[in-house]
Amino acid sequence: MKGKRTYLLALAPFLLLALLFEVAPVVTVVLRSFQAEGGGGFTLAHYVSIFAKPLYRQAAVNSVVISLLSAAIGIAVAFFGAKAANGAGGRMRSFFMSVLNMCSNFAGLPLAFAFIIMLGNTGVFVLMGKRYGIGFLADFNIYSSAGLLLTYVYFQIPLAILLLLPAFDGLHKEWRETVSLLGGRGSDYWMKVGLPVLLPSFLGTFSVLFSNALSAYATAYALLQANFSLLPIRISEQFVGDIVQHKEFGSALAVVMMLLMVIAILCQNAVLGRRKGSGQ
Amino acid sequence: MKRKAGGPIVMLLICLYLVIPLVFTFLYAVSGDWSGLLPRGITFRYYAEIFSDPAFLLSLLRTLVISVLPVVLCTIFVLLAMFVITAYHPWMDRYMQILCTIPYAIQGVIIAISVLALYANAPPPLGNRILMLTATYCVVALPYIYQGIKNSLNSVNAGCLIEAAQILGASKFAAFFRVIVPNIMPGVTVSAMLSVSILFGDFVVVNTLAGNYYQTAQVYLYHALFRSGQLSSAIVIALFGLTLLISLCVFFLKRRGAPGGMR
Repeated sequence: MKGKRTYLLALAPFLLLALLFEVAPVVTVVLRSFQAEGGGGFTLAHYVSIFAKPLYRQAAVNSVVISLLSAAIGIAVAFFGAKAANGAGGRMRSFFMSVLNMCSNFAGLPLAFAFIIMLGNTGVFVLMGKRYGIGFLADFNIYSSAGLLLTYVYFQIPLAILLLLPAFDGLHKEWRETVSLLGGRGSDYWMKVGLPVLLPSFLGTFSVLFSNALSAYATAYALLQANFSLLPIRISEQFVGDIVQHKEFGSALAVVMMLLMVIAILCQNAVLGRRKGSGQ
Repeated sequence: MKRKAGGPIVMLLICLYLVIPLVFTFLYAVSGDWSGLLPRGITFRYYAEIFSDPAFLLSLLRTLVISVLPVVLCTIFVLLAMFVITAYHPWMDRYMQILCTIPYAIQGVIIAISVLALYANAPPPLGNRILMLTATYCVVALPYIYQGIKNSLNSVNAGCLIEAAQILGASKFAAFFRVIVPNIMPGVTVSAMLSVSILFGDFVVVNTLAGNYYQTAQVYLYHALFRSGQLSSAIVIALFGLTLLISLCVFFLKRRGAPGGMR
């Protein structure tokens, strides 16, 4: 090979992009999170405030809780959905997959809006509840944590089923028959064979769902405004908007969120290999 | 062995649950007046309104541009970089992989505010909002495009192909761009379209970085949310229809047999 290194120029555009808009911003955010208000110095004050001030501690806790809950509910529903799809014939399964793929595109603002139509203050189901005296529906408040959870679960389910299906395909039918030949029942099969085999995929899918919910912004933005504190909303508030900007504090919040995401992604990679989540 | 009849019922229930919000939004968009329990009359005037509103059409155009352009740029950049890695320095791939996985951890609001805080007051060209938006979208699309290209390269065994082409007298550059790239095009197109549909539905990045400078369809929808419910439903259905169209293209491209495609 000759000494000409001109081919390295081909690396330039990518490196420029990655350095300027990926590495530099992240490094700056991390550095800034340790700076005092207005720049300069080294302080852990911002991190302390996050855990000391109820507003922001609540935001972090809320985000983690709603991500865990929506991931758990999503994966529970997905277990039965994937199990059903796995046992179904070709046409039913393709139809099911098409519906899932179609509805996984329905997320973010449009989804929040659809739920407002159905369950908002003058939503169809709420009006029905009032008319027929169904207390649960009449009093349902979509602009609460319960409402948010319902919306989050909606976009978690298709993603979870699509991720779990390949795992179910790995469960051989012969194992089921073997268990019953050896005298075991359905529950024995699931407890001793099925669930242990599926466990890695479950954990991997769970962390995909967790990071998916944690970074959800548009849905929360549309439904909550200022009522329920969530981490992504609090972060963007520090940088954009009417109130005074708090770049350093916002950076600290962002670092906390980044750490949570990294933990989730490390779990994903360890268990699922290369997989991706979908938008919210 | 007993056959469970519960399977199809479960699938049906899930499908119903998923489809109901869509159906309601659609009905809301075509109903005359829905302040009571049931709508009164069918009308398409909300659709007529949004499609005759130049602001909406412009926002659609902007969304298409800002979804497609970054993906095209990102694909070119990654292909160029993968050329160097595949043909000359395979050891670099590990670092490329790290660089292309980081966006997962910083997706959404994190990368939006990071870029905003760093470049908002910078001199042009870096301070230009559109450039910031395009570049940030490139980074957002990076993991998906890289994975698609990497999978495709693996499936066509790029290293061997380059060697074979060289034996026949081609330069490495020609080998990569005239032999390998045409072969991986199907797989690359699939992940490119996936990225386009992801960018199409993005709200947080565009709202944070360029909300007032470059109004995309999602930002338009956000402002419409407070104006009229039925108008918003029409917009939602229109946008959903477009996203569906893109997904259908991906579906048919994949069915044509894309080696190393995703999902």
